[in-house]
Amino acid sequence: MSDQPRPKTVSGAKPEIGHYDDFMEHAAHFLYRAYQECGELAEFDLFGAKHVLLSSADAQEAVYRASDDQVSAAAPYQYMVPVFGEGIQYGAPVETERQQVRFMSDGLRPKRMKTYAQVIAEEVEDYISDWGDEGEKEFHDTFKELVLRTSTHCLMGSEFRHRLNDEFGELFEQLEHAISPEAVIDYQSEAEAFSTRDEARARLQEMLMKSVNERLAANAAGNEPPTDMLQSFLDARYKDGEAMDHELIPGMIIWIMFGGFHTSSNTAAWACLELARHPQYQREVIEEVDKVYGNGEDLSFAALRELPITEGFVMETLRLHPPLLTLMRQVVNQPFEYKGNVFEVGTNLVISPYVSHRLPEHFPDPERFDPHRPQPDHLFALIPFGGGRRKCVGNAFAFLQVKSILTALLSRYELSLVDAPESYREVMPSLILRPSSPCNLRYTRRK
Amino acid sequence: MKIVADLDLCQGHGMCEDTAPEVFRVVESEDGSYDQVEIILHEPDSGLHEKVDSAVRYCPNRALKIQ
Ligand code: HEM
Ligand code: SF4
Repeated sequence: MSDQPRPKTVSGAKPEIGHYDDFMEHAAHFLYRAYQECGELAEFDLFGAKHVLLSSADAQEAVYRASDDQVSAAAPYQYMVPVFGEGIQYGAPVETERQQVRFMSDGLRPKRMKTYAQVIAEEVEDYISDWGDEGEKEFHDTFKELVLRTSTHCLMGSEFRHRLNDEFGELFEQLEHAISPEAVIDYQSEAEAFSTRDEARARLQEMLMKSVNERLAANAAGNEPPTDMLQSFLDARYKDGEAMDHELIPGMIIWIMFGGFHTSSNTAAWACLELARHPQYQREVIEEVDKVYGNGEDLSFAALRELPITEGFVMETLRLHPPLLTLMRQVVNQPFEYKGNVFEVGTNLVISPYVSHRLPEHFPDPERFDPHRPQPDHLFALIPFGGGRRKCVGNAFAFLQVKSILTALLSRYELSLVDAPESYREVMPSLILRPSSPCNLRYTRRK
Repeated sequence: MKIVADLDLCQGHGMCEDTAPEVFRVVESEDGSYDQVEIILHEPDSGLHEKVDSAVRYCPNRALKIQ
């Protein structure tokens, strides 16, 4: 035997399925246990596929800095191909995929944020205009509905947004049902969720292509093109000067919606829950909001401003409740080495913000919610949006949405818990961490 | 003052160029992925230091460093 270091193995593997049951049950809690048992490197098995969880800022950095031909994002995420379509994201060669992400970032430039801020402000104020002086709401579903409106409006423009009906949300949900731990194992199986997925995808193609064609006609008629993501995708050019095949644009929209929809709506829900749990921090955020609103600024402007207290609050929310926490890469071409450990080709490297954000060396007393925590010095310690070249392209947009929602709400209402504090738990019915349902909160008009 | 950029972290959003255009320029990358920052003035004189400090502070990806 050589004395090469090797990761420890997580306990509780079962014949054939490995740790699949535990992973399915609650991925966040399973991964945290993996770290607690094994430390920096924890090996586990899902139906024979070897996975290694890397839990230290240095290890995360090593993975995030590795190139695509060392660690591949496409290989472990192939189950997304039927969702977005061939020719898009991981259904396209990596050079094409990287350019498609640039198209998104072109559509999210700081200059465009002003327009989006206005759209979001209008939607949020309209949404809460009939809430009255006080009441109770289920905040998870509330923000799902609201963020569906804000994001379709910014992405697809006002015509699409005003035609928005329940069908779009339902189809989207059917796509999401196919993103499950089962899919990670075999996304092409006969399971019903997967045939429903394929039908929903075909119907979405139809709905979104209708908007693409309408926009092309409006542009051809000489109308001033609006500022939205659909227009950015039509204007985008690959480096050889070619435009995107228009048939691929629905897939781009679905992709960016997938990145931004539940992540942002869950973050808004978690933030409100933490506000309700911590009245003293809620007062601080309200004070900051009042300072901005007190100057007579409108919401769109306020949400674009630097609001250090509110932003710190949202960041601490994302630290404890990172919506995405099973980030995967697969070792390709040649073994990947980290601190003398050698990971063979085919090994899945797992990074979990949920675990990294609880490392005591960066976050003392990690379970305590404390919006005044200093940012860790290490660039790869606080990673709710991932890191490196594949860091979330939508993070500024996400902050804009969440800040708009919080600012509008807190300028009118105070939030408090409805149920016993311990009844609000973190659950993972899919690969996204969310508050348990019902997430009921009470809002009361401020005096 | 000497400025360095960590290109693994830069995603070309251009906040730095907006803040200190004398020092930073955002250029298209060769592979067609994200644009990238280019430092056009590595050792700017003291008149620019304040602007450069803000650019470094406001880079959303913490890709810029002063050495
Ligand atoms: C609080 C909200 C959000 C969180 C926590 C979040 C988190 C993340 C994370 C962790 C990644 C990296 C995944 C990996 O490394 O495997 C990512 C990537 C991505 N996100 Fe977000 N995201 C959020 C909001 C958004 C929004 C609003 C959009 C769109 C407007 C978006 C679009 C994307 C896209 C397209 C990618 C893929 C980027 C690439 O492959 O280079 N996200 N996000
Ligand atoms: S602000 Fe930061 S990420 Fe953006 S272009 Fe400049 S260096 Fe790159």
